[in-house]
Amino acid sequence: MTAPTAARLEVRGVTVRFAGLTALDDVSFTVEPGTVHALIGPNGAGKSTCFNVLSGVYRAAAGSVVYGGRELTGMAPHAVAGLGIARTFQNIVLTAGTVADNLMLGRHRLTRAGFAATALRLPGAVREQRRHRARAAEIAEFLGLESHFDQPVGALPYGVRKRVELARALCAEPGLLLLDEPVAGMNPAERLDMADTVAAIRAALGISILLVEHDMGMVMRLADTVTVLDFGRRIADGTPETVRQDPAVLHAYLGQQEAA
Amino acid sequence: MTRLAETLLDALALGSVYALVALGFTVVFKASGVMNFAHGSVLLLGGWVVAATHGAVGFPLAVLLGAAAAAAASGLLHLLTARGLRGAGAHAATILTIGADLALLTALGRAIGADYLATGDPWGSAVVRIGGVHVVEARLAGIAVSVALIGAVFAAFRWTRWGLAMRAASADEEAAALMGVRLGRMRLTAWCTAGALAAVAAVFLAAFPSPGLDRSTGQLALAAFPAAVLGGLDSAAGALVGSLAIGLAGALAAGYQDELGAFGEGLPGIAPYLVMVAVLLVRPSGLLGSKEAVRV
Amino acid sequence: MSELLTGRRAAAGAGVLVLLALPFYADGFWLQSGLFAMAAVLGAIGLGLLTGTAGQLSLGHSFFLAVGAYGYVWFSGGASGNGPSRLTGLGLPPLLALVLAIALAGAAGAVFSPIAGRLRGMYLGVATLALVFLGQHVMLNSRSVTGGFNGRPVEPMSLFGFSFSDASPRGLAVLGVPFGGLERLWYLGLALVAIGLFTARNLQQGRPGRALAALRDSGTAAAVMGVPVARYRCAAFTVSCLYAGAGGALTALAFTRVVPDHFGLALSIDFLAMIVIGGLGSVGGAAAAAVLVSLLPQVLTVYAERLPLIAPAGSDAFGATPGEAARCLYGAAVVLILTLAPDGLAGLARRYRPRPAPAAASTAPAPVPVSRTATRPSPGKEPTP
Repeated sequence: MTAPTAARLEVRGVTVRFAGLTALDDVSFTVEPGTVHALIGPNGAGKSTCFNVLSGVYRAAAGSVVYGGRELTGMAPHAVAGLGIARTFQNIVLTAGTVADNLMLGRHRLTRAGFAATALRLPGAVREQRRHRARAAEIAEFLGLESHFDQPVGALPYGVRKRVELARALCAEPGLLLLDEPVAGMNPAERLDMADTVAAIRAALGISILLVEHDMGMVMRLADTVTVLDFGRRIADGTPETVRQDPAVLHAYLGQQEAA
Repeated sequence: MTRLAETLLDALALGSVYALVALGFTVVFKASGVMNFAHGSVLLLGGWVVAATHGAVGFPLAVLLGAAAAAAASGLLHLLTARGLRGAGAHAATILTIGADLALLTALGRAIGADYLATGDPWGSAVVRIGGVHVVEARLAGIAVSVALIGAVFAAFRWTRWGLAMRAASADEEAAALMGVRLGRMRLTAWCTAGALAAVAAVFLAAFPSPGLDRSTGQLALAAFPAAVLGGLDSAAGALVGSLAIGLAGALAAGYQDELGAFGEGLPGIAPYLVMVAVLLVRPSGLLGSKEAVRV
Repeated sequence: MSELLTGRRAAAGAGVLVLLALPFYADGFWLQSGLFAMAAVLGAIGLGLLTGTAGQLSLGHSFFLAVGAYGYVWFSGGASGNGPSRLTGLGLPPLLALVLAIALAGAAGAVFSPIAGRLRGMYLGVATLALVFLGQHVMLNSRSVTGGFNGRPVEPMSLFGFSFSDASPRGLAVLGVPFGGLERLWYLGLALVAIGLFTARNLQQGRPGRALAALRDSGTAAAVMGVPVARYRCAAFTVSCLYAGAGGALTALAFTRVVPDHFGLALSIDFLAMIVIGGLGSVGGAAAAAVLVSLLPQVLTVYAERLPLIAPAGSDAFGATPGEAARCLYGAAVVLILTLAPDGLAGLARRYRPRPAPAAASTAPAPVPVSRTATRPSPGKEPTP
């Protein structure tokens, strides 16, 4: 059980094509260890595609992704998870069962109990389960989920389920956390809550966070660095202040607003 | 040479009747994403209605009645599965059709008993000679009717509002619904069409040289499963290709089983499955099926 | 909370006592029916793990039961006869044969599992359907192993000279009740079922079960959480086949003769009906439904004369035979359950069970310091804003 510490993530010239359509075109950026890095851009800019490449779900046609010195492109998703990269999903994807079940799934990569040991309740498997459940309960408490710990996720309200997803990702003790629109669909109070939580995670754990988000207020408040994508290309990269004043960014966003 | 020609013609006849059934699987799967395991008993129901009514109303009208009954049963299944899909797990609707099949098949088996029922078809056991090759008339009729019906279904795919709705929905269901496609009606039509096609297939499955309709006729429809699957479940053209391949495999195994020694016995029955497993090993989504896209 | 627990424990204990006492009261017909039900329970547990928990549709479960049944018969049976009726066999000790038969079914599952790992949804369902037909073909044609259409007699189970048959010790009686083969097998069956239930529940509530459930609900999400998808799909298939093998071997022992006809598509479909009626994903529900589904025809047979619309088997009277009526009934039950109560028996039981009181603050687990917290700053108890 070696806890992975945050490492540098380098994305170099990543290109992804679907049936003739180029979803990501030669995109590069670097997430420095321990920082919050935001990936923004209008709808269809390729943000989610980028997440899917980083977590091994999609294959890049060209380019490389290096995390802590390891090349990720070509790795299966579970192997990527094994390096300490955890993610949440834009649309909540939880497993039927209790909050505890979902959090324990997050600890899958940190646990070892196999089919035989679990089926026969071998002492090692029982101890492991008990120990990791206690840690999962701690993480639930950190995210304010302790009162829901043994409840089925299906019955929980949307905002709470979003937090469960975040807790599940944290249960993997990641060095890099990928958050795909963590406040989408939330009301203003829940958004504030979530922003505070993300800040607290960073302060308490010192891990890197890569964030895809539409809520500009949240991005400007939390992010150390911002990368802007538009039509699959990187159009800007820098601190929130410089990006905010970048003409290309203004054009991409305002252009879209005019069309709407 | 004659034997090969006869075998190939058998393959075509068998394949075209399977195609009627396989197309039913495909149409339903495209419309609702359900594998209709009750299709065999719907087929048997259609055949049974034809057998039960042809004496009173004549063969053509009996076929219409059979098709109507099978279409109604199939439509009813759609209404049930559309309900069952809510809430329950991924395969709920499919398992529901298995339950329905169990109930319907048992009831029909009871009604049919241990007899072979005649469907009163006009071809009887007539055989024609074409250039030295003996051909069963009913098989020729089967090929002709199947080609005509399949052609009609493909034309409907292409040129009717229903076909358009179906294609739109399989491309993007939400968008189609927003554009005013009435998904419920489109699906109901698909299920009913599948049922009617199955009833026609039942008539030819029961025709000469088979001794008539019996409780196992519905199981013959099981051979159309591999046909639909190996072609690719969501591809109508795949269903045709698959049916011909299965027809060919079945006819070859039947024509040459004596030469295959002890293991050849009963081989025609499992040849479709052997072909299917072989194809799926190479192409997990069938020959023409679309690969399942990952969506997160 | 604890009252509820002791209540449930007491009920379970009473149930076990009744099961243990049954051979002293029930006659041979019911004991044999009960043994079939136990075999069905083992099979249903396996399919429940595969289809209910891991979400892989299998119509080929009866094939793996057949592997278990014929595996036991071949491993334990001796060579006999000659000419076309010649039978081969290894003549191994029955207990070893039983273990090997279960392992063989698991191995058969493992051989097929790469296909299971590759195929999705319906494609897998139909591919497993192929197994049933291929299996029938092999069972009918490899006569020296299976005995062909008429099947093959089963070597009785025996442990250290104690035979689970009417022989050795002959005329055994316990508390004045004659203990023949069925009575003795009953306890073997109970032991197998107990092991089956114990292991399946553990699996489901443990790490592998959580990974399989995640796979069922979203393969992508499971993979991203570190679950090697293909390997777990294969493992689910193999484990499910181990249970099927045990069920098959017990079927063989209860039947005393195995015939290919028993292991057809109908049996596979019965298993699907069991896990749906029990509630997908519930081990206990599947077991309960397995008992219901496999005993229904027997119950209807016994009470045929008193029930309307049901004719005694073999009579020409109007009405369905018990077997037909049972199939109709549980076919309809599957349809009704999926449309009206998708959680099956398990869901109904949950609905009518007294709810535990909401956990009070004192019962909430206190944060336990774990070794890894020493290596990194703990999230601690930061108040969530």
